[in-house]
Amino acid sequence: MTISTNPTSSRGERTPPGVALWWKQTRKAILPPLFGIGGFLLFWQLSATLGLTKLAGPLSLFTEERTRELLFYPFFDRGGLDKGLFLHAMSSLSRVALGYTLAAVVGIAAGIAVGLNKGLDRALDPLFQFLRMVAPLAWVPIALVLFQNNQPAAIFVIFVTSIWPILINTAEGVRQIPQDYRNVALVLQMSNRNFFTKVLIPSALPYIFTGLRISIGLAWLAIIAAEIVMPGTPGIGFFIWDAYQNSYVSDIILGVIWIGAIGLILDRLMVWLQNRIAAGQ
Amino acid sequence: MTSLVQVQEIDKSFPLSGGNTYLALKGINLDIRKGEFISLIGHSGCGKSTLLNMIAGLDLPTGGTVLVDGEAVRRPGPDKMVVFQNYSLLPWLSVRENIALAVDEVMPSLARAERDAVVDEHIAMVGLGAAGHKRPGELSGGMRQRVSIARALAIKPKLLLLDEPFGALDALTRGNLQEKLMQICNEHDLTAVMVTHDVDEAVLLSDRIVMLTNGPGSMIGGILEVDIPRPRQRLTVVHHPSYYSLRSEIIYFLNRQKRVKQWQAKPHKVLARHGLEKVNLDLGFVPLAACAPLAVAEAKGFFSKHGLDEVQLVRETSWRGVTDGLVDGTLDAALMPSGMPAWMTAGGHGGAPLPVVSSLTLSRNGNGITLAKRLADEGVHNVDDYRRYLQSHQRQPHRLGIVHPASMHNLLLRYWLASHAIDPDHDVHLQTIPPAQMLADLKDGSIDGFCIGAPWLDRALADGHGFTVAGDLAIWPGHPGKVLGVREDWALAYPNTHIALTKALLEACQYCAKSSHWGEMSELLSDRRYLGMKKEVIWFSEASADGSSTVPHHLFFGKGVNRPSRSEHLWILTQLARWGEIPFPRNYVEILERICAVGVFSTAARELGLDAVSYQRGAIELFDGRPFDVDNPIDYLNAVPVHRDFSVAEIPIGVPRALAG
Repeated sequence: MTISTNPTSSRGERTPPGVALWWKQTRKAILPPLFGIGGFLLFWQLSATLGLTKLAGPLSLFTEERTRELLFYPFFDRGGLDKGLFLHAMSSLSRVALGYTLAAVVGIAAGIAVGLNKGLDRALDPLFQFLRMVAPLAWVPIALVLFQNNQPAAIFVIFVTSIWPILINTAEGVRQIPQDYRNVALVLQMSNRNFFTKVLIPSALPYIFTGLRISIGLAWLAIIAAEIVMPGTPGIGFFIWDAYQNSYVSDIILGVIWIGAIGLILDRLMVWLQNRIAAGQ
Repeated sequence: MTSLVQVQEIDKSFPLSGGNTYLALKGINLDIRKGEFISLIGHSGCGKSTLLNMIAGLDLPTGGTVLVDGEAVRRPGPDKMVVFQNYSLLPWLSVRENIALAVDEVMPSLARAERDAVVDEHIAMVGLGAAGHKRPGELSGGMRQRVSIARALAIKPKLLLLDEPFGALDALTRGNLQEKLMQICNEHDLTAVMVTHDVDEAVLLSDRIVMLTNGPGSMIGGILEVDIPRPRQRLTVVHHPSYYSLRSEIIYFLNRQKRVKQWQAKPHKVLARHGLEKVNLDLGFVPLAACAPLAVAEAKGFFSKHGLDEVQLVRETSWRGVTDGLVDGTLDAALMPSGMPAWMTAGGHGGAPLPVVSSLTLSRNGNGITLAKRLADEGVHNVDDYRRYLQSHQRQPHRLGIVHPASMHNLLLRYWLASHAIDPDHDVHLQTIPPAQMLADLKDGSIDGFCIGAPWLDRALADGHGFTVAGDLAIWPGHPGKVLGVREDWALAYPNTHIALTKALLEACQYCAKSSHWGEMSELLSDRRYLGMKKEVIWFSEASADGSSTVPHHLFFGKGVNRPSRSEHLWILTQLARWGEIPFPRNYVEILERICAVGVFSTAARELGLDAVSYQRGAIELFDGRPFDVDNPIDYLNAVPVHRDFSVAEIPIGVPRALAG
């Protein structure tokens, strides 16, 4: 028989309404980033308006008619290279998907081979360490010479940029399989196939996913580099390059926003996938 | 009983960086019978896990073979299932899936439903029915280990190998799991080998305990049979008479290994100085009031005065440590019970006869026979009461504690009992217990009494747990107590050092004999390095603790006190033979001649200007007035009232030879 008048001391007697409660719980997570981004945009716009930089401010996305159109109509297709930004992004993404899938398949396979075989590891490790230091842009001319064609060359650049983290992490994951698990497999006299599917892969999975996550970012970085240098192919990289050629500064800004957003979504996607598949480890 | 596992002459070495090899195990032989539970115990790094891995086939020996069921082990297999120290469960699989993985792998011929039944049966066996769907990460350590055991048992191995299975668990969980494992092993008649460093766990679970010495080149240092009947209960095994002796045996072994390791860690070059062959000595002692001369010689600088600059006093917890220290050469010399030189020279310690010489008797008296207070409460006040008490309580075991078979306590206690028509082997059981444990045993009633030296004797009285039924002065006043003993080959290699040591200790004895020094000595001995107990319980005078009495109980110095006496050692030889400790040596004259370094004593006394003490004692006579005829020891032996069937034999002690090096 107690009468509580203090809502904070006894939850449930006088709970705030739904929205207020939600706000109470989430404001700490939402407000600071909101202030951060808002402040940055304000600073940028001010410096553009005051003429401190030549770069157009964020408001130009709306004030420039051409850019506004691109912003609000991402799906139009007038044929050729004159497409909405979503379609540009899609052709870039399909290229990334191809190159990245190739890198994942080859990287995981080679990583397992290198992780299991010490001799192979010693033979190839210096080569890998060297190649992974080569920037995506440096691969472009080599790719063009190699394939004589923009499309496969772009895919190759994505492949060769994103394979290393996958390969190196997979190899490390296989090397790091605890001796205990190997002993269990030995004592049970597991077949190689069962060892592979039941012990090796599950055990190395967290490492493989770390590699895949790093690589997806790299692959996305590489596509922009590839497309900028290989004009004539639709894609978000080409779009930015084209806008620059025409001095459409606000278009460039819009393109950059698309790139950042897609990169972020890809990364979150990988995290989500990782949590789903490799959970419980 | 057929042997399931035969470990034959196993050697194992590991390559080290730098091209050398480390020899981990050397010459291991072990037969394991079907249905037996074996524990491997030893200090960390002794190679016990390596041995287990070689039985499992996870590691191969560099020499020798392991046979399981007559077949050499070349690779691991499910017939030799291992329960790993850190459980080794696959974290991405549930409990069920972990066990099913093993069952599927090992029993592919069974139908799906049958395999499921096996998995369920074993999950239930370890009591994890409700947790089958959980991942290892969601389980406690104890539950994980139960899963690991269930997985091992589910594939029906011939041999179960456990590598410190309960090492990482809290005490309560460990106890429960030990009982569970014991129950499962009993029900399924499993053969198991377990690596452990837990002494109680080893005693509780094992049929045999294999003790490994320290590496490099670890060997089996001893195998103990655990004769506690099964089924065992964790709470009741501790009351089994063997429990504590097994336990103390293992602890002694482990401590001994530690001591040897510490000794090996130090450089042991013989330092010659001041015309002495060796001035760095390790001197063993057991903390007793009678160790006063050693403590005084160290504290008052008598060792350095006689040129022995680097004398280290090594405290042992039992006389066995002194014996082993002399046998393996980690001790140069030691304070020892007066019976020990004869006992070791005659091979009483179990090895080859090891001639030990004594140049000095360090103390006389200082012992007494104590009975538990609870006996006094039942009307036992003297030996005749005790005899009647034994007759009326024949069904109970009657244990009396002694510190060592070769100590005067044992011989006096036996003599006293036998003289009062109590057979020391049939009517009572004499058990060797380290001095420090006696009080606890007297308190909890596992022994009726003991014969022991000061200060333990006085502490039992002071604590009110016991009463003196016979003082040593009433049995044999002036009997030899502790002597200085060294190996004969050591004495021959370092003759001048031997004389210097005798001089230092004789001078210390002289110091100890002065009643004005007793207070200071009590204070000194109370130090942690020596006895580590309150100075009030350490006293040297007869009768009382207040120090007012100047009548000495311990005799440290005086006419005929310190000179080694052949007739006393002969009395000891006859008593040791009387109770079957050793055969009576046909060559006893030679043995006595070699035990008693009278020449060393005389030289030492003369150089100290103490010729007066170089005086021989009179005839030996104990309280019962039976004469001891030094010329006819065998007739004497045949005439004493109670004796075992003794034999007379030549004891081969070879010719005197100096220590090589």
